[in-house]
Amino acid sequence: MQASRARLFKEYKEVQREKAVDPDIQLSCDDSNIFKWTALIKGPSETPFEGGVFQLAFSVPEQYPLQPPQVRFLTKIFHPNVHFKTGEICLDILKNAWSPAWTLQSVCRAIIALMAHPEPDSPLNCDSGNLLRSGDVRGYQSMARMYTKLAAMPKKG
Amino acid sequence: MQNQEALMEDGEMESAMSIPTLECDDWAKFGDDDIMQQQSAIQAEEAKKVLFVGDKEPLSTLAAEYQSGSSIMIEKIKVLDEHYAAIRRTRGDGNCFFRSFMFSYLEYILQSQDQEEVERIRANIEKCRKTLQSLGYAEFTFEDFFTLFLEQLECVIQGKETSISHDELVLRSRDQSISDYIVMFFRFVTSGEIRRRSEFFEPFILGLTSTTVEQFCKSSVEPMGEESDHVHITALSDALGVSVRVLYLDRSSCESGGVSVNHHDFIPVAGELPNASVLSPTNKPFITLLYRPGHYDIMYPK
Repeated sequence: MQASRARLFKEYKEVQREKAVDPDIQLSCDDSNIFKWTALIKGPSETPFEGGVFQLAFSVPEQYPLQPPQVRFLTKIFHPNVHFKTGEICLDILKNAWSPAWTLQSVCRAIIALMAHPEPDSPLNCDSGNLLRSGDVRGYQSMARMYTKLAAMPKKG
Repeated sequence: MQNQEALMEDGEMESAMSIPTLECDDWAKFGDDDIMQQQSAIQAEEAKKVLFVGDKEPLSTLAAEYQSGSSIMIEKIKVLDEHYAAIRRTRGDGNCFFRSFMFSYLEYILQSQDQEEVERIRANIEKCRKTLQSLGYAEFTFEDFFTLFLEQLECVIQGKETSISHDELVLRSRDQSISDYIVMFFRFVTSGEIRRRSEFFEPFILGLTSTTVEQFCKSSVEPMGEESDHVHITALSDALGVSVRVLYLDRSSCESGGVSVNHHDFIPVAGELPNASVLSPTNKPFITLLYRPGHYDIMYPK
């Protein structure tokens, strides 16, 4: 408990210092609870998520960093490896490939990489995965783009 | 707890059955979090059977395991019995090599009070720290693990306020908040050494997994619970400059008829000479591990 708190505090300081380095990620800690974080990440360019801003919720366990944080999309997203309803993410580093060498910031980078490179063979969103597996890239992209517009872009006017 | 486990098992079955109908929504109830919870429940179950580091046991307990089993194993244990007095088991949680190494090393220092060795390993640990920095690891991701190991190293040296007894060392090795942190320290050290000398390790890694060195470190060295192979042992032994003897106990037999137990000494490469690993009185291993396919335990010579 004490160890995880100390580590998270170091990450907090690092995030403040590195704010300008990674303009695609805005990571912030809950004012009253260092085990709760949220992030705003920009959809990577040349993907159907371009132009969208996606919110992630982090819940950090007491055994952190020996155990991974739990991360979910709060913003709706149409992606093979993200559960359409719960926002749960299927990513190895959040499961058995986790190690303390990762940080909340580098997890965000890994999630952005996952957005650009979906893994349709281990889908949490079968509809999305099936479109890609059947080779319907256009269908996948237009669905994903539609949801980006609906859920991840600020409303005009 | 048991009810919960039964529920999760049912859940898994249901979701497996729903694959053909592509009814994915049901999966929401049985997400990865549940699977991870189940995994930690299984680990907790396993923990009750074997401690992280067990008590010292006479070798007869090893023989007893094979009483109604392979005759080759029984013969080999007789051979071991001539040179080895005792075994100390470690938990089979994928960290057994690192955990055995940790306990053996700290126990050796506690009993020998070998100051020269302590100074030597401290210097090597500083080199490992620099290696990780130069590989681009953020200091804060590994420093806590380094600090904790150095603290334990300090504690086993006697005659100080912080000194601990052998019993206390055993207790700390069983305390997850210390034991797992030290295992992780070794994982960082091992990963750093493999990546620093990636050209040397690459062919061995290709033989094991056909991945890149970096990918191997990320997926098979740094995560807790990933089992160790000769690559890990070589790297850790080299990085810290600590020799390790591994005895191999398996069902293989040699043609000549007589039964023998193979061993391999991992001798750290000396300085800048890559092939200078010759067994000399100064690098004779004081850590002896028993390898049975998939698992390492600690051995005590007579």
